[in-house]
Order: sequence, then structure tokens, then C-alpha cells
Amino acid sequence: MLEAQIVVDRFFNHAYNVDIVAELLGAFEQAVLLAVWNMAEEAYGRAILRGAQSALDRQVVAGAVYATLDRLEQRGLLASRLEEGTPVRAGRVRRYYRLTAAGIKALNESKAALEQMWRGAKWPLESKA
Amino acid sequence: MIQQAPPRWLERMLLWCLPARDRETISGDLLEEYREERMPHLGSMRANVWYMRQSISFLSVRSVGGSPMKASLTWISVFTAAAGVWLTVMENIQRHAGYAERSAIAACIAIQGLSTVLFLVRDGRSIFRMLVLTGAVGVMLLGASAVKRILDAPHFEGFVFLIGSALIVQGGLALAVVLLARHGKTI
Repeated sequence: MLEAQIVVDRFFNHAYNVDIVAELLGAFEQAVLLAVWNMAEEAYGRAILRGAQSALDRQVVAGAVYATLDRLEQRGLLASRLEEGTPVRAGRVRRYYRLTAAGIKALNESKAALEQMWRGAKWPLESKA
Repeated sequence: MIQQAPPRWLERMLLWCLPARDRETISGDLLEEYREERMPHLGSMRANVWYMRQSISFLSVRSVGGSPMKASLTWISVFTAAAGVWLTVMENIQRHAGYAERSAIAACIAIQGLSTVLFLVRDGRSIFRMLVLTGAVGVMLLGASAVKRILDAPHFEGFVFLIGSALIVQGGLALAVVLLARHGKTI
């Protein structure tokens, strides 16, 4: 019974790459993580909001970005630290984000999964009718 | 040099919408963007509209909290609260026979809707919990009675049917959200 289960698990892992699919990130999550990655040490809320807008090429409301940052941090894909604020923000502290090892892995796996899905398909797709 | 800032009430609204952990950081980020980018390029009025839009985005994100049940309850409660206010105002303008009782009921609907929204955005740690729980039964009965009366009436009044149906759904969802949350279940 156990052997059969292992065979089934191996089959699914091989055929559908279950591990990768489980970690697959949404497009918005990827845009936010990539913005954090691109900014390195300068990735704080406002900069990430601008980075996500630039990556997605559309206006994004702050609530969506901060909720995503919060969720990704809870999942362990991001870590944050507080630093002193500047006069233009009335001295309010800044929260800087950085990608964790799990975050980098998740981004890499998401890209690999997408590439695997598109392998063999001629892009752009055209109607077969 | 005095730096421009959003109206105080808008800032208060934003702070009210934010969780305690991020209150300072997010409001600081938005103030920075407001002063450095929005005000110089958009002017005071459009910058304030931008700031309000961002604040509202936190309200919806916070109340929704990733739960479809909470999201539905939030928007239905907003709808019934608005409908309650509208009915109260209309009853008091038109003043047909029995308007006082009807406007009192409409005001209760508005209060129940607002209480439910406040309960959701305050993470249930407020006095609104009891009000929502008891009011949920009331609005369900009220909604059921309104829907039954409309279905039996010779003339169909769509808005009463719509508000009645929304009240039934609101009451059911409110009961589910409050009771399931109390038992620590994911909603």
C-alpha cells in the first residue's frame, strides 16, 4: 500500500511538478517580490508601490500592495525591519523589506513553472479555427 | 517652512483603517508620496482625492481580510446601511401616514448596517459584537417579513424586495461570521 502511494506520488511529482505548483505565486505577488528584489536595500513601502506600478504598467492602490506585503511576510517570503523616518514624512518610521531565501526560491520556482507550462507553445497564440 | 499635508480628517480616516502595527509606516509612506509627488504635480484637490482613494483601499482590504464571507457581509452591510439612511430621509421628506414608525425601522436598519461594518473593520474587538449578533436576528425577520409582504401585494416594489433580500442575507452572514469566529473557525 505504502509502495503504491510512493509510486503515485512520484508519478504526480514528475508529471505535474506538484511541488512547484504548490508554491506558484500570483502575478501581483511576483510583481511585488520583484520590486523588492530590484530595490535591494531601498525597498520600503512607497518605493515598492511605485515599483509594482511600473512593473504592471498600471495604477495600483496602496491597500493592495501593503496587504500583499503583509501576506508574503506572514508566509516567510519577506522579512522587514524598521528605520528612522525623514522630515518629509513627519519623522514616521519606514519599514524596509527584503527577500528571504524562501522568497527567492518561490520566485525562481514560479518562473520555472511558467516556462515549463509554455514550453512547446508558439507565442503569440493564434486561433485554431 | 510649513509643509502641505492632507486634511486632518482624511489622515484620521487613514489611521483608523490601518492595523496598529503599520499605522506609522504606511501613513508615513503616503504622506511622503503626497508631499513629494502628488501635491506638486496634481495640486491640492486632486492630491486629496488620491489620498482618500488610498485610504479607502485600506478600509476594503482590512474589512475583507481575505475571507469571501466577510467580504460579502461588508458590502451587503454597506448597502443596507445606505438603504436605511435613504429610506429614513425619504420617509421624513414625504411624511405619509405612519412615517414615524417606518423611519424608525429604517434608522435601525442603517444602525445595524453601520454596526456590522464597524465590527468587521475593528476585528470584532468592540462593543459592536453584541449589537451585530442581536440585530442579525432582527434584520433577518424584518427582511423576511418585507419580502413576504411584497410577494403577497398586488403591486411589486422592486426596491423593497431588494432591501428585504439583502437584510436576510446580511443577518445570516452576520450570525455565521460572529458565531464561527467565536468558535475559532476560519471564515
